Amino acid sequence: MENSVYLDELESKSINIIREAYWQYKEKLAVLWSMGKDSTALVHLVRKAFLGEVPVSFIHIDTTFKFSQIYAFRDKYAKKWGINLIIVKNSAALAKGISPDKDRFNCCDSLKTVALKEAIEKFGFKVLLLAIRRDEHLIRAKERYFSQRDKEFKWDYNDQPLEMWGQYYMTGHEEGGHLRVHPMLHWREIDIWKYIRRERLPVIDLYFARNNKRYRSIGCQCCCNPVESSADSINKVISELEVSRVAERSGRAQDKEKEYMMQKLRSLGYM
Amino acid sequence: MKNALRVVVTGEVDSGKSTLIGRMLYDTASLHKTAIEEISQASRLNGNILEFAYLLDGLEEERRGQLTIDTTQAFCRNYRSGFWFIDVPGHAELLKNMLCGSSYSQAAILVVDATKSLEDGTIRHINVLRFLGIERIIVVLNKLDILGFSKDVFEAAKGEIRAFLDSIGIKTEYFIPASCRQGDNLAKKSAKTPWYTGPSLISALHSLGGINKTGGKEGFYFPIQDVYLRKGNPVFVGTILSGKIRKNDAVHISPAGKRDKIKAIRVFGANKLSAKAPQSIGLELARGEGALRGQVISSDGGLSASSEITAKILCVQPINPQDKLFFSCATQQAICSIKQINKFSLVLAGAISDRGAGLNKEDVAEVLIAVREPVSVKRFSQVEALGRFVLKKDREIVAVGIIT
Repeated sequence: MENSVYLDELESKSINIIREAYWQYKEKLAVLWSMGKDSTALVHLVRKAFLGEVPVSFIHIDTTFKFSQIYAFRDKYAKKWGINLIIVKNSAALAKGISPDKDRFNCCDSLKTVALKEAIEKFGFKVLLLAIRRDEHLIRAKERYFSQRDKEFKWDYNDQPLEMWGQYYMTGHEEGGHLRVHPMLHWREIDIWKYIRRERLPVIDLYFARNNKRYRSIGCQCCCNPVESSADSINKVISELEVSRVAERSGRAQDKEKEYMMQKLRSLGYM
Repeated sequence: MKNALRVVVTGEVDSGKSTLIGRMLYDTASLHKTAIEEISQASRLNGNILEFAYLLDGLEEERRGQLTIDTTQAFCRNYRSGFWFIDVPGHAELLKNMLCGSSYSQAAILVVDATKSLEDGTIRHINVLRFLGIERIIVVLNKLDILGFSKDVFEAAKGEIRAFLDSIGIKTEYFIPASCRQGDNLAKKSAKTPWYTGPSLISALHSLGGINKTGGKEGFYFPIQDVYLRKGNPVFVGTILSGKIRKNDAVHISPAGKRDKIKAIRVFGANKLSAKAPQSIGLELARGEGALRGQVISSDGGLSASSEITAKILCVQPINPQDKLFFSCATQQAICSIKQINKFSLVLAGAISDRGAGLNKEDVAEVLIAVREPVSVKRFSQVEALGRFVLKKDREIVAVGIIT
């Protein structure tokens, strides 16, 4: 039995933040679901927060370059959980033949950030829930739980508002702007796995080792590399993470391309 | 496994806060290999040898300017439950970022540049910690490598800091001679300070982590966060601040002053027979009429309605008497005004001067707040989450407060 108080505390804080965002913004709120382990845990937290009757929408930003397992997982669980899922693509950029081979920065920006911009405009969302965590990346570690983005999606990381004692800066009413909410900012990678084990959540099998390789983090097939690992079960993944010195996103191209690439992508509105 | 202790690392600009955290992460094998490679590369780009602060200062502006702009948190592994280190900026103008980080902490490390001893920023941070009620403090006297690990210099600086802490009623037993850059007395005792008989930083942190502040016998307090209709019944959702609750328990609803009874405890999937802090749950009440967000369900018959509150506040922005302010405590929010400024108990920067009826940024004052709708609050020493609040103007926090 997983230590209940420790995971309860992480879970409770996330649920509290989800409910706080919904209280303020109601159906203007959407949850980003990439089918990865973190955002799948977030989907579960959202279902828990609303006692199973979820009144908000979910967005999948489909670059069309994702692993085939991701699409199968999405279709299976969106149906099983009765999720109102909006799938968005930057069709114009795809029609022009954009791909990571030519310009990785531009590809990430167009197929993810621009696609998201179009969806926000089309559906009128004001608030996005994202499953980012502090321990993933130095730049994500600088985030607040509630973070404003202007109409250009810019993140003013040099002047973030004060939030403390569960009191957040909730705006998003600026013309064209939106609010990012990060209910899982305080979780660590290993916490996610312990929670998946305790709550018996499904995960894509790319996370488990085959031929001594597994994915620590998944996204577009072309820009993800597996890490050396023999962890072929949740228990083994947790044991591995207790001692691992390999970075979670070490297989993700956009994290190490060039110095400050993540910061530049994020300041333009990347997740 | 219990929860990791959260420790804020405070001190004057350039005293070595981020370096201390970075070095601790490095020496405790908490870092990923790529993080070490990345800082080696970035350090070369910026002309440094190995800049441990880069492990926290991830923004380009922070590295170029050699300062911490915003707060961040990093997990430090060890054989027990580990620690969360919270990095905060030292610059006075970044007070809001310092407060934001400190508000998550249960204990503090105060880093002092031993070549300079007690500086304005040191005093400012000690005062902020005292304001927030963070009383578990470890003092690290840094940069002793520059001073040849001199015992005399250490003792002199220690004496000065201790005298100041004593003068404002803060007791601490830990003064650690250190070089954060070289790692002396951080993750292990250093051979360069044979005259020092106290613990290393990590041992001192373990000693602090063993102290548990909460007794676990507090009453049940549950601020209503929202009301969801489920199968035609109102479900009052929220987070339990303290204590526990069982089905059929009698409860009070404040400030409405009503009595009620727990009909059901709702979570996703199934109903429960009991729940306890810090869970987020849903409650169905036997009557429940009129209950809404901002009211507090509790086992406390004495939780009354207040329309005037005496508190100490710390301003993060100037406040004018005519400002329209909101008082926010847990999920309660009410329009309020500052009716009376009783006294400035201390000012973080500069001397107290006559500035009329308003309050300036960084002022700490004892005030009487009048709220338009009554709210249910407690003293901070009784129920922390109902004894602390913020004042907002245009949705932004302009002051934080503690009910004394």
